[in-house]
Amino acid sequence: MRIRVRVNGRDYQQEAPDHWTLLRFLREGLGLTGTKEGCGAGECGACTIIMDGLTVNSCLVLAPEADGTVIETIEGEAVAGELSPLQRAFHKHHAVQCGFCTPAMILSIKAFLRTNPRPTVREIQEAIEGNFCRCTGYQQIIEAVQEVTGQREGQEELGHA
Amino acid sequence: MLRPFFYVAPRTKAELLGILRDEGPGSRLLAGGTDVLAELRVAGKAPKQVVDIKKVEAFQGIRFDPGEGLSIGPRVTCADVLASPLVHREYPLLATAAAKLGSPQLRNRATPIGNICTASPCADMAAAFLALGAWTEIESARGVRRVEVKDFFVGVKQTVVEPDEVVTRVVVPAEMAGAAGDMEKLKRIRGHDLALASVALVKHGGKLHVAIGSCAPTPVVLPVLPVDAPVDEVKAEALKVIRPIDDVRASAEYRTFMVQVFIERLMARVEPQ
Repeated sequence: MRIRVRVNGRDYQQEAPDHWTLLRFLREGLGLTGTKEGCGAGECGACTIIMDGLTVNSCLVLAPEADGTVIETIEGEAVAGELSPLQRAFHKHHAVQCGFCTPAMILSIKAFLRTNPRPTVREIQEAIEGNFCRCTGYQQIIEAVQEVTGQREGQEELGHA
Repeated sequence: MLRPFFYVAPRTKAELLGILRDEGPGSRLLAGGTDVLAELRVAGKAPKQVVDIKKVEAFQGIRFDPGEGLSIGPRVTCADVLASPLVHREYPLLATAAAKLGSPQLRNRATPIGNICTASPCADMAAAFLALGAWTEIESARGVRRVEVKDFFVGVKQTVVEPDEVVTRVVVPAEMAGAAGDMEKLKRIRGHDLALASVALVKHGGKLHVAIGSCAPTPVVLPVLPVDAPVDEVKAEALKVIRPIDDVRASAEYRTFMVQVFIERLMARVEPQ
């Protein structure tokens, strides 16, 4: 089927087999390999992207289902080589270890902060419950989120409880 | 990796019912896809075609009819349920259950009707629907039938829905509007996980309704009891309907124990309106 999507503000039109997932279409069809495949079954969230404003596991969406949608992926985050504020905060707080979960983590947090710009720690934890970090760097990720929401004033980096 | 299949997305219910009449056994219905695509991947087999029902206009929306009750269509997601002021006001237990299901990404796609059609013993929405006495409307080219959710499940991942049929609505009766209820779900971690055991409990109109998940081949519901039934009697009734097993997530003994703990907690916490 011919798939028409807008990804990170750019329009694409491309044929894809009916049984391809959106994840495979992004990676193998459009060459956008920033989105990762982890479990392929909706457990780990490594393939999380934003589709029509909502986060989805792109391994659990068929490419034909995404026809006509507006998609945001990690490739749209940095602009002209400049990291986004969220990416800069991840960098500053060492919220990236192996990096495999990071693109999806960024997308989940980006969508979450649009609806809740001043979240509590508990709300941040719940917002990323569908994104596994197997390096278990969750504390640093939460600190990075608080950095961009302006909730870390006066606190030291890596102020682990 | 998914094996090849064709994708079709009918625009009307008539078109969908025609496809199912002619090619029902080779078709797999797709709504949110969070169960279907995971299953197709793990099973390593493919239907001839996947039939996406999300383009059918009539399948959208959460509606309330004062005579009938709350009607939820097959396109409605768990996130839609959570975003509905109507649900929070009149059927808060449905929002409680939807919030316990999966992760944000899964709730944005997963549908309550898909949740019961997958018919996993641990289906979170099933426990809420059972405790609220919900029923389903099932259609095919042969006609329409109504099946109570308590009669909907046949076995592990098996339902009464035939290959040429589709569940077009799930309805929570009007008399359950405003019902006080709550749910407990036991997980291995605080983040998203399948239920090791769950209990949904409703006190309404002088009656007590209790449903239990992950403790039998299907989600189960106790006989309706008086709202002031002693806790020990409720637990005894629960032990009659559950048939838990040992598996990778929990032992039968642990499940049996926690179901009773949850009944105690919910009996104490839920106040009839």
